[in-house]
Amino acid sequence: MKLLDIFLLSLSHVKKSRMRSWLTIVGVIIGVASVVAIISIGQGMQENVQQRLGGFGADIITVIPGYFRATGVHSEMHTDRSVSTSSSINLSDRDYRVIKQVPGVLYVNGLVSGKADLKYDNEKTVVSVTGVDTSVWRLMDTTGLDEGRYLQAGDSNSIVVGYNLAHGTFLQPITLNRPITIGGKNFRVVGILKQSGGFGGGSDTGIYMPSEIARDVITEKVSNNQFTSIVIKASDATLVEYLKADIEQKLMSSRQVNPRTKDFTVIASALIREQMSSVTQTLSFFLSAIAAVSLLVGAIGIANTMFMSVMERTKQIGLLKAMGAGEHEIMKLFLIESGIFGLVGGIIGVIFGATISLLIPYLGIQALGFGGDMRATITTGTIFFALGFSVVIGILSGIIPARHAARMRPVDALRYDQ
Amino acid sequence: MNIIELENVWKIYSMGEVEVHALKGLSLKVKPGEFLAIMGPSGSGKSTAMNMIGCLDIPTKGRMLHEGQDIAALNEKELVKIRGKKIGFVFQSHNLYPTLNAIENVQLPMRIHEFGEAEIWDKSEELLGLVGLSGRARHYPSQMSGGQSQRVAIARALSTNPLLLLADEPTGNLDTEAGKEVLDIFSQLNSRGVTVVMITHDEKTAARANRIVRMIDGTIAS
Repeated sequence: MKLLDIFLLSLSHVKKSRMRSWLTIVGVIIGVASVVAIISIGQGMQENVQQRLGGFGADIITVIPGYFRATGVHSEMHTDRSVSTSSSINLSDRDYRVIKQVPGVLYVNGLVSGKADLKYDNEKTVVSVTGVDTSVWRLMDTTGLDEGRYLQAGDSNSIVVGYNLAHGTFLQPITLNRPITIGGKNFRVVGILKQSGGFGGGSDTGIYMPSEIARDVITEKVSNNQFTSIVIKASDATLVEYLKADIEQKLMSSRQVNPRTKDFTVIASALIREQMSSVTQTLSFFLSAIAAVSLLVGAIGIANTMFMSVMERTKQIGLLKAMGAGEHEIMKLFLIESGIFGLVGGIIGVIFGATISLLIPYLGIQALGFGGDMRATITTGTIFFALGFSVVIGILSGIIPARHAARMRPVDALRYDQ
Repeated sequence: MNIIELENVWKIYSMGEVEVHALKGLSLKVKPGEFLAIMGPSGSGKSTAMNMIGCLDIPTKGRMLHEGQDIAALNEKELVKIRGKKIGFVFQSHNLYPTLNAIENVQLPMRIHEFGEAEIWDKSEELLGLVGLSGRARHYPSQMSGGQSQRVAIARALSTNPLLLLADEPTGNLDTEAGKEVLDIFSQLNSRGVTVVMITHDEKTAARANRIVRMIDGTIAS
């Protein structure tokens, strides 16, 4: 029998028992839709984390004062001065020099960060100001300039502003050369950074100026030989893990602290990113496994329907065999039927799953405290995987019933009374 | 050569611990062009005999020859071929494929045996005309009467040009009028040279055949 004819015969069954076919298909739809939605959300989450942490650069290490025992990724993520043990302790010149001596360190930038009052175009706000070492900042910045220039040696009343501060904070967007008053001093905007999308660093909403100036304008008191954080660029991204340990070691001995009394924290964002993505990976794998269970239930639904239709059609199987249909043909007849359930369920399931994924951002669900909205990324890979998987599942769950049908002896099948 | 030859055929089914002797040394010959009726009360083994003749079952003992070929020596694939091409079956009920309409039912054996598309259509239309159902080609089995269904089944049984038309109680579920129509078609086909073997328990039905074989207790009543 030609495959097309077998297919049409299968189709005639699917169409004839429409209600049951649809109910079977609904089982597959639910399974496929949840798998697609969850994989897409998982991928979106992954990208979200990558992007947010990506702004730091893979070769950047940050040292901040204060230490708290990180019990997990979550607390480590929120490392900033307000949570740390003490705000009075700062990093010093000495620490700066110690770090500079560590082999593998390319650049070191001592930062002076804090809050300052800002006045622009008759609007007032409080902004975070970061004082940088102008000689190395441009070499270490991972955000990039949108327009204008970086700070340079000799700048005293020049500032560079973050993208969101420039474009979204004030009624009148901040443009180059606009005067801004910060902490009572007048400044001129020489550069605007690109949008980083990153979190924690706050480069999108921050203001950058030379560190010696920043000490005067911020409300916190930071004396001349002190820094609120030190940022290091490694000569090679692969060194980061080793370098982090080395810096930690050298700083402990110079600050004369032991791991118990340690009063600083060294953060390598690349390592955090790896850790985060393995967490999100595990999480989405786990969620996918749960979704796979519903797909399994769908498969059992197909198998059940197929068994029922084999039972119901015993007499027809006998007829087909009496007409000269072989085992292979009967087998194919049922496998195509269960494959149709898988395919149709798969197609509709993908559509539903994709719709759910696309609606996720509008639900405004916060993604696991990462501070960003949840979103989903649907790839063609996911779609083809889901479709292929549901067809395979359809066929697999049809195998046992189909074999059962194919092996029926025609005499027994014909004698079967409905 | 005889189309069918049963030589001292025994068929023993074991139903758990009890053995049922359905056929006890049945011998029977069917010649080409015959219209044979096999009669007998229920339990006489006539259905088992039909299964043998139709190559749907093989004897426990004895020989069953189809065109001189011992069917016990054939594998399932070869049996399937004989059943499909050499024998046309008409059963008592549930004869038609319920998800296919009349003409599709007639076409089904030809599709199974991969006839050409043009032949499939010509032949199926011709056969539906032969049984007087050209106007019902697109009707589904559930939309047809028992007599009409049975006539479609006959058209279908003839579609592969079989040597033998094998009918198991073809009028069993029909009223007198419809039964008569079906039997008329059998007579008509037989007069055109088709060999017909019909199983029935009804005297009037059997009387339409050229030869009647009466069975009792798994063998031919003497």
